[in-house]
Formats: sequence, structure tokens, C-alpha cells
Amino acid sequence: MLELDALTIRYPDFTGRYTLSVPKGALCAVIGPSGGGKTTMLHAIAGFEPVIGGTTCFDGRNLETLPPALRPCSLLFQDHNLFPHLSASQNVALGLKPDLSLSETEHGMVAEALASVDLEDETRRLPGELSGGQRQRVALARALVMRRPLLLLDEPFGALDPGLRKSMITLTDRLRRQHGLTVLMTIHTPSDITHVADLVAFVAEGVVQSAGPPNEILKAGFSPAIDAFMGV
Amino acid sequence: MPASRTRSRLPHPGVIAAAGLISIMVAALVGLASAGGQIRGPAGSASGLLPSPYLQGVVRVAAWQAGLSTVLSLLLGTALALALTRRSAFPGRSLIMAVITAATVAPTIVIIFGVVTVFGRSGPVPVLASQMGLTLPAIYGLHGIVLAHVVMNTPLVARVMLGALAATPNEHGRLGQMLRFSSLDCFRHLDWPVIRREWPGLATFIFLLCFTSFAVVLSLGGGPANATLEVAIYQALRLDVDFSRAASIALFQIMLSLGIVLAFSLIGAGLPDTSGHMAARPRPDAGSRGLQAFDALMIGFAVLLIAPVVLSVLTGVGQLHSLANRQVLDAGITSMILAALAAIMAVTLALLLATAAESGPSGRSSPHRARLIDLAVLALLGLPPFALVTGLFVLLRGQVSLAGAGLVLVPLVNALMALPFVYRLIAPPLRQSTERHGRLAASLGLEGLARLRIVAWPVLKRPLAAALALSAALSMGDFGVIALFGGGDLVTLPYLMAERMGAYRIDEAGAVALLLVTTAVGLTFIADRA
Repeated sequence: MLELDALTIRYPDFTGRYTLSVPKGALCAVIGPSGGGKTTMLHAIAGFEPVIGGTTCFDGRNLETLPPALRPCSLLFQDHNLFPHLSASQNVALGLKPDLSLSETEHGMVAEALASVDLEDETRRLPGELSGGQRQRVALARALVMRRPLLLLDEPFGALDPGLRKSMITLTDRLRRQHGLTVLMTIHTPSDITHVADLVAFVAEGVVQSAGPPNEILKAGFSPAIDAFMGV
Repeated sequence: MPASRTRSRLPHPGVIAAAGLISIMVAALVGLASAGGQIRGPAGSASGLLPSPYLQGVVRVAAWQAGLSTVLSLLLGTALALALTRRSAFPGRSLIMAVITAATVAPTIVIIFGVVTVFGRSGPVPVLASQMGLTLPAIYGLHGIVLAHVVMNTPLVARVMLGALAATPNEHGRLGQMLRFSSLDCFRHLDWPVIRREWPGLATFIFLLCFTSFAVVLSLGGGPANATLEVAIYQALRLDVDFSRAASIALFQIMLSLGIVLAFSLIGAGLPDTSGHMAARPRPDAGSRGLQAFDALMIGFAVLLIAPVVLSVLTGVGQLHSLANRQVLDAGITSMILAALAAIMAVTLALLLATAAESGPSGRSSPHRARLIDLAVLALLGLPPFALVTGLFVLLRGQVSLAGAGLVLVPLVNALMALPFVYRLIAPPLRQSTERHGRLAASLGLEGLARLRIVAWPVLKRPLAAALALSAALSMGDFGVIALFGGGDLVTLPYLMAERMGAYRIDEAGAVALLLVTTAVGLTFIADRA
């Protein structure tokens, strides 16, 4: 279980105060207007934001004192997830050993992770030679080899075509089920994710305004703010 | 539509400017060739285009000192940039950044003054060394030249590298944190790709600057043994009044420098970009004890090397009253007029060339034309100012006086020397604007001045202000071409400063240096915030 309890971040022009519970192994879609604090919430969970109050717990363990490297989470950004001078397999290998000195077993793990995202034929390619979707799949493969149980996706598929976006979401869902991951994914088009999400959290003005099953939260009339966001 | 057909047949003003630019280069070459009709070696023996043993020696020594200066500047500047990138917050960081900026824009003559003041025989460094029982070698000679070049170029390297390192995506630093990067991993995955990308351009540029160095070598060279080709041309022109020999050396230097520029463009290296933001980013390796010690050492060493030289101008504070006389006022006015002329010429030329590069059919830029114009501008880097001015002066000789020729040639050559840097500030935003709005402008029938005002001006006004400030700063501090024409009625502030240094009026020279540095820093401040 991931639990945010009044997790507070303050900037001169923005204050976020998040309270949210996500069951273990669930996929939570985080929706809301731009600038509402979705990205800040994910980055705070990953340990990249200066938290001034509240707690983040995962499996009963408080993460607040841990640096990003020791937190049980992997974060995928919308862009720049890969190092441009390293091949696809080297970028994945970073998740195991940053100095890239892998054993045979570890090489096998990298190949397996790339195969699980259907990139077994692209292992030697540089990020510049891959499509946008392929680059994000490499980043997903790296998250898999890191074997961290909490996967945070900060609109990683936002720049992809609708068809590709849906197939990436399906792939993420498959990997979540295979590896027992808990997933938080910010997304702009809720209709892309309703078929796989267990939970939808609506974040606006730095607060989780509503959270619950998709068919409840996204139902017209549930909340005027969500209706306005959905254009209902 | 006969009117529009007639208009389309007229060449773009930028094409005329490019033709003018090429004509000036060709005229300089013709002037050189006519003066050097019988090209001979400095010793007077006819040797055709083959360099004489003297020239071979000059090239060998110049290449050695330039190579040494380049390697040391790159290593020290990069280490300083890495240290400052890792140490995003410590007391005095902004002061160090200010010193780096001041040293980057300080005129060469001011750096020479600083090196002599700090490292010269009675300077604090040799005095301190002798108190410790050490005897340092005299400042004049190869080590003095290299020291001045390192002091001049280390801040440039640091500034370029700081901007390039800060441009690394923020996500990469965060990935490094998440993936538990060690210090070595950070260097390998975050820093090295940036270094590998920036070093070829920086190395070529600094090598070219040091290889064609004039003022530093003339002032600190300690005799003909360390002369560069620029100094050899100056000696032939100013001391021996031997145009033929000057022309033969200049032609030789053009061939060498153009070869370096060609290699420069073949490896795809661009001019170093000093316009990047030098903001600090959180780094995964900031907590490493070993790196903390290394960074403290690097910052301390660089500051001890550079800051005293820059701050030596403060010796002039006590003599500021010496600025209040007719000589300084006249030199200041002359400098300002020449700088304003050079800045207007450089910016106008750059704007015309950049618009010509971007004016293609259907609102799209023409890649071939753009490439040609980019190359013509880059070729100026390979055209040593003395070679250029020698050729043009030969053509004007007998038509105008030395001072009259200087009034025309000093701003012209300063403008041409600033052009590659100014063009780099103006061309990219214009190119971006054409890519974004070119077709829209073409579909609305926007052409000529209307297009410039409505489409280009909003994106160009800041780069134009920065370009004007930069070219004025470069011209204000020039002590190259003015050394040929200076004296009598044509005295600029750097020339006056060099005269005072030569007459051992060090404090008064310091006051002029202070004025020059303040002006250069002020203009850079405007350029950075334009």
C-alpha cells in the first residue's frame, strides 16, 4: 500500500498538500488540469522535491528520510529518460550497474527485460535511432530490471500517437500484472486508461480532490471540477 | 504581376553584403599578392611560396606555445566548470562567477597588464616566492606568453563548459540520483558526453587565438625567439616598412589559418557558445568527500591564478584622477567612435547575411545558400586581422594618410573580426523564426522590411542588442590592428594604456585598465540581459 498523508511541498507560487492511498499492485491514474500539481506529487514520492511536512509510506515504511536511490520506486519522465550516448541495452544495464560491468547473468536480465517490451532486435541502437515509443519502452525495461515495486510514470506517453499511447498503456498494465508492481501514472486523456486503471485520482490546486474507481470518479455529475476538466 | 517579377530579380541585400564581404577578402588577397609580387623570405632570399627557415621556426614555436596554452586552458577551465557545477551553493560562488565573466571580456592589454603586475619582477607572486626561498623565472618568454593565454582562455573555457553542463536535461541528474551513480559514473554519463562535444570547437578556437596571438606575444614574448606570424607581420610593416615581406608572411598565415578553419568545419565543430545560462543544478556526486576536496583545490587554484590578474586593475583606483585629462578624453572618444562604427557594421552585415541565408522560396530557407553564407562567415576566423589589414592598406597606400587609413580600416577589420560571433547570436533565432513562421509570412505576402518588422523583430531585438554590445566590447578592447595605425591623431584607450605601460607609468595604466574593464563588463552585462 502506498500512502501519502498530508505530504506537503511549498514554493513561492505553489503549495501542494497530498493525501492518497493506493493499494499494493493497483494502477492509479492521476488526472487533472495542467499546473495542478500532478508532476510535483510524483516527484515528491520519488524524493526529488523538498517536502516540508507529512509522510510517504510504502508497505508500512516511511520513505521521507530516504534519498531517491534508496526509495522503492522508479520514475519515468515524459522525455530525456535515456542517455543519448548509450545504446538501448546499456541504458537498461544502468538500472543494474551504473558502471556497466555486467556479469553474464546480468546481461541475460537486460536481454530479458528488452524482450519483455518487444525490443530484442533493437538492443544496439542509440536513443537517437529509436522512435519515441521505443525510447519509452527502453526506459520501462530499465525500470523492470531495477526491480523496484513502485512505478511512477510522469506522462511518459503524452507525446505519442493515440494508437501507440494505448498500446504502451496496455504493455504497462501487462508488466504491472507480471511483476506485481504498484503504478501511479499521470495522464491527460483519462479515456485512454479507464479500461486498466483500478483507481483514478483527480489532482487540482495541489490537492488530491477526489480518488476512487474510474466508473465512479469519471461519471458525469460526480464533481463539477472533474466535469469541467472532462469538458462535460 | 510584373512588379513582383521585377522585385524578385533583384538580388537580396544580404547577397550583396555577402558579395561585398567576399570582395573585401579578395581585395585583401590581391593587395597582398601585389605587394608580395616577388615573394621572398624574411632574410631576403627569393623562396617562392615555400616558407623560409625563419618562418618555419616561427610556426614551430607558435604552434608549440598555442598547443600548450590550449591544453592547459582546456584542462583548467573544464575542471573549474565541473567544480562549479557540482558546488551549486557556497559562499562566494557568485563572486567567482563575476570574476570569470570579467576575465572573459577583459581586453587583452588589461590581461597583459595584470600578468605583469602580479607575476612581474616586483609583483606579489615573485616577492612571496623569494621570501620562501624560491626564484621564479622572469615573466618574459614562453612561460609568460602561456601564462597570459591560460589566464585569458581558462575563464572562456569555464564559461562555455558551465553553460553546456547546465544545458544537460534536469532529468539526467535525477536519473543519476535514482540509479545510484558514483562520482565516476557521473563523470562518465553526465559530464564526459558534454566535454567530448564541446572540446573540439573550443580547442580549435583557442589554438587559433593563441597561434595568431599578437599583443600578448609582442608584450611578453621577450624577443623574436617567441614571435608569432602576426608579430612578424607587424615587425615587417611597422619597424622595417617592408610590404613585400609582410605580404609574403601574411599569405603564408592565411593558408595556415584557413587550413585550421577547414579542419574546424570538417570535424563539425562550431564556435564556442558563451551565451548559455550558468545556473547550478543538483548533482548526484555533490556529496563525495574526494570530489569536495578536488573541487576546493580546483576553485582555489583557478581563483588564485585569475582573480589577482583581473583585480590588478584596482591598482588604478588611486590614479583615477589621471583619467581627467585631454589625452584620455580624446582616446576615450576615439575608442567609442571606432567601437560604435565597428558594432554597427558588424551587426548590419550579420543581419543582412542571416536574412539572406533564410530567404528562400515559399518562406523556407535555402539550405545550400545558408551553408555557403555560414562558411563565408566562418572563413573570417581563418583570416588573420593583420593579413587582412595589410592587404587593404597596400591598396589604399598613397591615397590616404596612415591615420586616415586607420580610421577606415580599424573599425572595418574589427567589425569583420567580430562578425563570426555576432552572426552566431543573430542567425539561429532568425532561422528558428523562419522555420516557425516562414510559410505563414509567405502566405500572408509579408516581404522585405514588413516581414523583418512583424516576423523577425520580436525574436531579434534581444540578440541584436546583445550583438551590438558584444561587438562594441570587442572593438573597445582591441589592441591588434590599432597597433599598426595608432599614434599621432589616432589613439584609442588600449593604445594609450600600452603607451603608459611602456613608459612605466603603471598606476596611470591601471586607471585606464580599470576604465576599459568597467566598460567591457558593463557592455557584457547589457549583452547578457538584453
